[in-house]
Amino acid sequence: MDFTEINHLLELARLELSNEEKEKIAHDLAKILEYVNQLQEVKTDNLEPMAGGTFSKNILRDDEINSQKLNLEKEGYFEVPPIFD
Amino acid sequence: MIQELHDKLINQEITATQLVEDYFKVIKEKDSKIQAFLTLTKTQALEEAKKVDEKINRGEKIGILEGIPYAIKDNILVKGVKTTAGSKILENYVASYDATVIKKLKDEGAILLGKTNQDEFAMGSSTENSGFFVTKNPWDLTRVPGGSSGGSAAAVSAQMCAFALGSDTGGSIRQPAAFCGIVGLKPSYGAVSRYGLISMASSLDIIGPLANSVEDAEIVFRIISGKDEMDSTSIDLSNSQNTEYSPARAGKIQNTKFGLPQEYFVKGLDKEIRDKIEAVIQKLQNQKIQITKKSLPSTPYALPCYYIIMPAEVSSNLARYDGIRYSPITNYPACAKPACRQGRALAGRQSPITNLYDLYFKTRGYGFGQEVRRRIILGTYVLSKGYYDAYYKKAQKVRRLIIEEFNKIFKDVNFLITPTTPTPAFKIGEKSTDPLSMYLSDVFTVAANISGLPAINLPIGFTKNNLPIGLQIIGPYGSDCSLLQIAKTIENIVKASL
Repeated sequence: MDFTEINHLLELARLELSNEEKEKIAHDLAKILEYVNQLQEVKTDNLEPMAGGTFSKNILRDDEINSQKLNLEKEGYFEVPPIFD
Repeated sequence: MIQELHDKLINQEITATQLVEDYFKVIKEKDSKIQAFLTLTKTQALEEAKKVDEKINRGEKIGILEGIPYAIKDNILVKGVKTTAGSKILENYVASYDATVIKKLKDEGAILLGKTNQDEFAMGSSTENSGFFVTKNPWDLTRVPGGSSGGSAAAVSAQMCAFALGSDTGGSIRQPAAFCGIVGLKPSYGAVSRYGLISMASSLDIIGPLANSVEDAEIVFRIISGKDEMDSTSIDLSNSQNTEYSPARAGKIQNTKFGLPQEYFVKGLDKEIRDKIEAVIQKLQNQKIQITKKSLPSTPYALPCYYIIMPAEVSSNLARYDGIRYSPITNYPACAKPACRQGRALAGRQSPITNLYDLYFKTRGYGFGQEVRRRIILGTYVLSKGYYDAYYKKAQKVRRLIIEEFNKIFKDVNFLITPTTPTPAFKIGEKSTDPLSMYLSDVFTVAANISGLPAINLPIGFTKNNLPIGLQIIGPYGSDCSLLQIAKTIENIVKASL
């Protein structure tokens, strides 16, 4: 990984690094990427990617009004603590 | 231990106040060397203890955790208490609400003693990446306590609290528990609410207990677990329709089948750990417990898979930190006066701040520690245009393969037994310059996170140098309660032979 590529990533991640650290990070990333590249040997042709670690689907609650959060007596507005005295 | 303390409290052999004082005495004696705590909450603890004592004096019934002193990892929010996640970027953050686990423990009357040290944002395996200081292993002060929940593990191990909570994204409860010789439970993904846990990698993170015994871990787990409307990924394990939770399975241990995945007993596993685990297996077999060798061929890919998915989620979760509100200006170079304003301080640098965008680069560049920056950059890379398919998508496919392999093996056996760590606690500084060698200390623990499975560390003895050794039991998704039952039985068999 060269400095142009590192600079691009730093731009995306909103990080400033010293030149010295850029060199170190380029070196570290190369080693880590070499390690994770082992995955390329795995056959995954017929596998759908996961989106999480379980097969749980969206767990939705019933769409009911929580009277603690919404006071219908005040015309259905949300009541929040006052911000200004 | 919790049960004993509870009995002492209700029999009035000790007051809750005395108990809290006793723990603070131990903390005062030991923590200057071990450095497990970042913040102590003594005033509040004594107030809470007084209330418990009054209740006992009035003859009221108290719950099992009422008056029991505990510690909590610093990435879990406690209202009104500093919560830094071990990071300078949150150095002055005081939580404005309680995490669900804290609310539950408060409702039970458990007493918080303080917040424990950790690797910054839970990224590390040694607690050396803390933005503040390095926690030491109570068994050998020249060695690491493990990480990232190293402060919690050291505090429990050194008897500075009755139990603690940690978080586990790739082994961060089990690995320090193994290094410090205590029990550590990583529950099934979603079994404990993550509301109020500072996010690291949301599809992997889970909160769990670190304790002196399986029974203690179980008491705590029963209280902190459950569905929470503030965390849409949380599940209720008592609803067996949703999970494979089956208390019946935990009945007679001779009816339970264990598997030994051969891929966990490979080169690189410390000989003393291997010998100790084999000795435990022998003891279990002597009790006519069925243990068979099994194969999980994708095991070697769990760690590389983790080191793509985790940093990807890290880079996204940590995008929210701008370093403006909670980070003191003195952290940034070129500023001598704590009172000087952010802009002026950074303007003294070679490249002056001209806009907000520039400010972010500097606050984030200097507010985050080295390992956090490394993972943000790695995560940004694997998610970036042109690399997403080759890295992130590929890893999510391998993740399915790993999960399917576990599902298949759990059709043959009920639980898996593996080592928790490849080596005992290593020396401070030994791995801190080589990130990859540090990553490899999680090689046996990450698969459970990738697959959302519950797993527990059980202490099973010591090396010649008196360093604790841990054994890991992994169960099917949602089997947390039976896993704890089984672990209790194995704990008794191991203890009987020590």
